Amino acid sequence: MPLLSLSVFLPLLGGLLLLALPRKSARTAHGISIGTTGLTFLVTLAIWARGTLPGGFAQVEEIAWIPAIGAAYRLGIDGLSLPLILMTSLLFFLSSIYAARITDRPAVFVVLMLMLETASIGTFAALDALLFYVFFEVSLVGMYFMIVGWGYEERQRAGLMFFIYTLLGSLPLLLAIIGLFLATGSFDMRLWIDMPPLTGLAAMLALVAMLFTFAVKIPAFPVHTWLPAAHVQAPTVGSVILAGVMLKFGTYGLIRFALQMTPEAFAQAGQVVLAFGVFSAIYGAFAALAQSDLKKMIAYTSVNHMGYVVMAVAVAALTIDADLRAVALNGAALQMVSHGIVTGSLFFLVGMLQSRAHSREMAGFGGLLGQVPWLGWAFILSVFASLGLPGLAHFPAEFQIFLATLNAQPWAIAAILAIVITAGLYLRAIAAVFLGERNGKWADMPDLDRGEKLAIVPLLVLIVLIGVAPSWLLGMMDATMRALQF
Amino acid sequence: MARDLSLLIPEMLLAVTVVLMLVSEMLRAPRLALGIGVIGLGLATALTLPLLETDTSVFGGTYRIDLLSAWAKLILLPGTALALLMARAEIAGKDREGSVYALLCLVTLGALMLSGGGDMMMLVLGVVLTGLGSFALVAWPRDDPATEAAMKYLVFGSVTGSVMIYGLSFWFGGTGSTLFSELGRLEGRTLIALAGLTAVLIGLGYKAALVPFQFWAPDAYDGAPMSVAAYLSVITKVAAIFAFAQILRDLPVSTGWPMVVALIAAMTMTFGYLAALVQSNVVRLLAYSSVAQAGYFMMGIVDLGPGSLALPSVIVFGAAYVAMNLGAFAVIMVAGRSLDDFRGFGRARPVIGVAMVVFLLSLTGIPPLFGFVGKVLLFGAAIEAGYLWLAVIGILNSVLALAVYLRIVVPMYQPREAGQDSAAPAPPLMIVLGATALVTLFMGLLAGVFPG
Repeated sequence: MPLLSLSVFLPLLGGLLLLALPRKSARTAHGISIGTTGLTFLVTLAIWARGTLPGGFAQVEEIAWIPAIGAAYRLGIDGLSLPLILMTSLLFFLSSIYAARITDRPAVFVVLMLMLETASIGTFAALDALLFYVFFEVSLVGMYFMIVGWGYEERQRAGLMFFIYTLLGSLPLLLAIIGLFLATGSFDMRLWIDMPPLTGLAAMLALVAMLFTFAVKIPAFPVHTWLPAAHVQAPTVGSVILAGVMLKFGTYGLIRFALQMTPEAFAQAGQVVLAFGVFSAIYGAFAALAQSDLKKMIAYTSVNHMGYVVMAVAVAALTIDADLRAVALNGAALQMVSHGIVTGSLFFLVGMLQSRAHSREMAGFGGLLGQVPWLGWAFILSVFASLGLPGLAHFPAEFQIFLATLNAQPWAIAAILAIVITAGLYLRAIAAVFLGERNGKWADMPDLDRGEKLAIVPLLVLIVLIGVAPSWLLGMMDATMRALQF
Repeated sequence: MARDLSLLIPEMLLAVTVVLMLVSEMLRAPRLALGIGVIGLGLATALTLPLLETDTSVFGGTYRIDLLSAWAKLILLPGTALALLMARAEIAGKDREGSVYALLCLVTLGALMLSGGGDMMMLVLGVVLTGLGSFALVAWPRDDPATEAAMKYLVFGSVTGSVMIYGLSFWFGGTGSTLFSELGRLEGRTLIALAGLTAVLIGLGYKAALVPFQFWAPDAYDGAPMSVAAYLSVITKVAAIFAFAQILRDLPVSTGWPMVVALIAAMTMTFGYLAALVQSNVVRLLAYSSVAQAGYFMMGIVDLGPGSLALPSVIVFGAAYVAMNLGAFAVIMVAGRSLDDFRGFGRARPVIGVAMVVFLLSLTGIPPLFGFVGKVLLFGAAIEAGYLWLAVIGILNSVLALAVYLRIVVPMYQPREAGQDSAAPAPPLMIVLGATALVTLFMGLLAGVFPG
């Protein structure tokens, strides 16, 4: 059974099935959506059960596409992509559960969401650069229509900015891919990873192009400006997918493309990338501190958390100690998964709060913990995870990243300042929204309903599970990261 | 002789078709003319298939039967058939209906001469044949805007055509032959080569609407019937690009022509999209967008000579461009000429709305649509030829392109104003929309059928 292809195209098939139905009531639309994403999640679990290989790619599927230029349909996984695929299918499953309350054009929304899932899993599973680019770009289109169609007040402007900004961001990658293709005559990513084809100036140009693309996607300072606008205006499910899944395209590409395909150039430019990572992490924290809008604040903490990933990859490129490399890259990979789970949960919770209060201004709330204990405690747990509390999801990742940084590039440990700031801003947010004086305005705010609990509880369980016992994930990653060729 | 003629069966079939169509127009039977046209074009396409592997020339090298001319037929003949159906949807029952069909096919015959020409005389013949028919087509509505557009088109065409003939005389003088295959003799004689090149760029650049010879295009497209505008924006343009490919692959690269073409390509795409950004008439917007697309085509031309991606890129993008641009024009025929007509169009007609989004995203170059595959090959061709800066400009323009096309997409999903209602599209138009949408959507995934 080609399980990988199944996981990639099952959502799309579900969407087509929905389109083919003559009568598309909200019930059938959401039923198909939950059924398809649930089934896809099961398929990815089966992929996990089949396992990965320590070096190279496992479960490879290959079909000719444009043989004349060496482009083919190639899928495969390793310890870097498999955790991301699992996280993606889980987040989409939970999103479809939460989205079941959408009544405005539900069928179109579901089709877009399922298309996004195909694009997302495809991006992580593609082993052909042209195919990777196809999935990478299709996700833009889906997200654009999701923001414009179901977003908040400023959605038109935010959607336009998102689409144009990220298209400008991703086209340099196409140039780099073409450059690599012209040097080898094939789009097979395995070929490029096994023997990086470019050297010297060409490699550096390709690296700069890729770094630009992935920096926009991650997003890293100074090309992060699309993120707050897009996040704040996107519908809740859009924010969850954008932050939880699509930002990982950037960090995944940073390792898969930039680090693995132009390793020498990356080592030369390592200090610059590291500096950008450190600055991004600190800048994201300070920018989040300045926000009074909850959603915007969480959006900026993504800049901070992704900054750590950039740091880790740069540290791995700069060091030649194999153990240290593995530690840094394990930290980076785990940080991606943790961020997907934690930020996904935070965006769900802010969305739930907004759908009740129609406001995201922290100052307008107060004392909500007694009023909505489920929402409050879930938020507090996620926030503690996000600020890196030991025992919760981000801690093992960030600990490894800082450990490797301290050993290899001690100056970059300055980024630890960001953790302090993040802790401060999160505690302030908790105090403002859930503690203190009760605001009588929200006296009849209901607590989470069954559907909302269903969407949020699995994430909370995972936050604790990854924090307490990360080894089931790290084991998968470590085998690949140690064998990573670059 | 018999061999030569047997290789020309598709062209001869098309010529016969045109004659039969004219006869049925004389009999006042426009539907018969349409039928003959569609069947003739279909047959000619089918008869091209056995010639796909042939690489030769007929009549002493003056007309080439090769990969490029075979694919020109496979792209332009079905494209013309679609244009006939679009014309039927627009002008059914009007006076002189059949002559439009006959002229469309006649211009396509000229387009085939252009894309297969191996000789200066054949080039001139193609330019004149496409030109004469096109002038009449633009003037067909017999109202003031159409007459003005046709006059502009005619005057422009005559001047550029004459300049081209004058310039070709330099090449004839330099090589002593009218055959393009002898152009290699211009090695080291840069001045003569560039003098002739300038003239060809003027003559064919006008046909392809390259900057700075694009002035006629927005006026002609806007004044002509919409189906004729659609036809001119794809068939004659692609034919002119293929003619560039036939000519320039024999011109020595050492004369420096790729740099000239690269500069024109960069100017054309940048100007086209900048101008499109400020249009409020969708036909003019698409006119400027098709100017810009001609610039992308020229990125493939730059790579001619040593490059391996030049011909595949031009052929694939040609096929994609014909499908997506015809499709976009067909949607305009349903929705209306003004940007305001598109307000809420996507909600009122969801299926056609999605088709328009597909055409526009494909024109931008978003994967996995057909236009994307073409653009990847074009960027590859430019980089292969060593023109990385041109590829970068192409990419920056793709972003501009998105801004241009989103100007149509954004209002499509805004609430519709009361009292606006577009008529249901005629059945022939539905066929065109269906065919172009399917090709744009799925040919990218099946791009393996194209030559590498």
